[in-house]
Amino acid sequence: MNRTIRFVSLTAFIALAGPAVAEPLQATLYKNPQCGCCEGYAAYLRDNGFNVEVKPTNDLAEISREAGVPEGMQGCHTTFIDGYVIDGHVPVNVVRKLLTERPPIAGITLPGMPMGSPGMSGTKTEKFVIYTVPKDGKAPSVYAEE
Amino acid sequence: MKRESQYLVARRGVLQAGAGLLFAAALPPLPAWSVSPDHYRIAAAPARARLAGPDRPETDVWTYNGTVPGTLVRLRQGEPTRLLVENRLDQETTVHWHGIRLPNAMDGVPGLTQPPIRPGESFVYEFTPQDAGTFWYHPHANSLEQLGRGLAGALIVEEREPMAVDRDLLWFLADWRLTEEGGIAPRFGNRMEAAMSGRVGNTVTLNGRASEAEYFRTGERVRLRLVNASLARIMALRFEGHSPVTVAIDGQPCDPHEPAGGRLLLGPAMRIDVVLDMQGEPGKRYAVIDDFYDGLAYRLTELAYEERPPLRTHPLDASLDLPRNPLPEPDLATADRHGLTLQGGMMSAMMMRGGVMQGAGMMHGMMGMGGGAAWAINGMSMTGDGHAGMEPALTFQRGRSVVLKLRNETAWWHPMHFHGHSLRVLSRNGKPVPHRQWQDTVLVAPKEVVEAAFVADNPGDWMLHCHVMDHQMAGLMTVLRVD
Repeated sequence: MNRTIRFVSLTAFIALAGPAVAEPLQATLYKNPQCGCCEGYAAYLRDNGFNVEVKPTNDLAEISREAGVPEGMQGCHTTFIDGYVIDGHVPVNVVRKLLTERPPIAGITLPGMPMGSPGMSGTKTEKFVIYTVPKDGKAPSVYAEE
Repeated sequence: MKRESQYLVARRGVLQAGAGLLFAAALPPLPAWSVSPDHYRIAAAPARARLAGPDRPETDVWTYNGTVPGTLVRLRQGEPTRLLVENRLDQETTVHWHGIRLPNAMDGVPGLTQPPIRPGESFVYEFTPQDAGTFWYHPHANSLEQLGRGLAGALIVEEREPMAVDRDLLWFLADWRLTEEGGIAPRFGNRMEAAMSGRVGNTVTLNGRASEAEYFRTGERVRLRLVNASLARIMALRFEGHSPVTVAIDGQPCDPHEPAGGRLLLGPAMRIDVVLDMQGEPGKRYAVIDDFYDGLAYRLTELAYEERPPLRTHPLDASLDLPRNPLPEPDLATADRHGLTLQGGMMSAMMMRGGVMQGAGMMHGMMGMGGGAAWAINGMSMTGDGHAGMEPALTFQRGRSVVLKLRNETAWWHPMHFHGHSLRVLSRNGKPVPHRQWQDTVLVAPKEVVEAAFVADNPGDWMLHCHVMDHQMAGLMTVLRVD
């Protein structure tokens, strides 16, 4: 590769990556200090252009509860992006849908830690059902299915 | 200071004439509720306590005799005792004398060893402690909430010949989840937490209060009895600028040794006795750090040295060996061998199989185990605190030596407590465990395999369970029978 081509491809790279570099979405991910799969989810978000700050905490249940996630529908980590709570291993296209549509809810959750979901090991064996986290004490409803 | 003297277990004025003048406070009087050293009255009752500091609100707690921690029970080795427990709570309770080798009927497991003590009723516990050392007591009914609201106290069985130290101190460590308003956060038994590391709190107290500093004098030698009375918090304590020597674990003397990396690993319900030669400079402070959880290290307290001349210029050269307790030595050559496999929790096949972790119904109906089971031992989940008719997983012939192989298949830590016996810890992941360690609560790391031996000499049905209380409640419990 000669010097010129190299320069051109570098420029192209910067140009393409430009919007993401200029405005990466900030995500704050609270996780149990001993849970390994949450790091996997943080890496997944980073690979998809988010700036992720991982904060270990022993207060995860309270953080999740205060964000409005009903007990029994909690994921194993809680992420905050652009004013929304995203609980558990939610696929990034559903996160993007939420951030684009901006519905009047607190956020979304994928309860538990389904096999094959982003950051989790294993093969997907069934549909991921992502629920809304309502703001006003209403019952959660299905937000997306993957 | 009254507060301090309460946790001064004993002071040995025999070492040096000056030692007796170390603190102005006299030896503490016997607790108000104790009738005599061998006869205690202990009432489980609500009270209020200032846990988080003088500028923080008081907390509604449940206590033994109105204080956090509860009345310090001091017994003498080999002498019978009688402890009358009165229930002034609005729910059933029992008391488990953790680590004491006692008759089965005195073990405090509801249903299994005694009927629960109903509100307004009382129960008399009678036993003769065979072993000297550091023990503790706590409820075994609705344990997660009752312990989490403060019901716990230390139980010290004195050696016949006291150890040669200047002061014998107790640090009773407890972990609380407090709200902004100072109350104890409700919502015990969060299912997600139960399948992870349990209800770890946000405020750690030392003898019932968040501690800024503990006071020492240069040159003194102290015996420090550490008790971890937390629901779930594992601690790894480092004493900056100091070299604690472990002399006993779970009340049982071991070969004195410095812990690996100078770090004292203290799981829930464990006790470690250390000897500290206080060689810091007068007027200086040294931090005591708990750095068990990655990224969440905090300062438990500071060792604060008084501005006084050293008590002595060189450390004492008295022995650090405690007299052995009369534990029967298992015969490994002829021992019966059994395996107990710990299963379940987050990131396990058991939790993720068949989508049981999905939706609001997660963790229900798993493997037909009834509501709330997240864990199992050898495929069986016993949930709750104990009840009548629990079938033993294993039965041992009385007098036989037994080797238990605890295999932790889970991704989580488990302090495994065996009632009525003490276990000689033989190996971890096949590597021999040094220093002659006997434990009643064996902390098992994720994926670790621990071998432990004992003589099945105490007849009855005995609990074996994880002392992360959420784990016990959610199935990490079984019963072992000695016939």
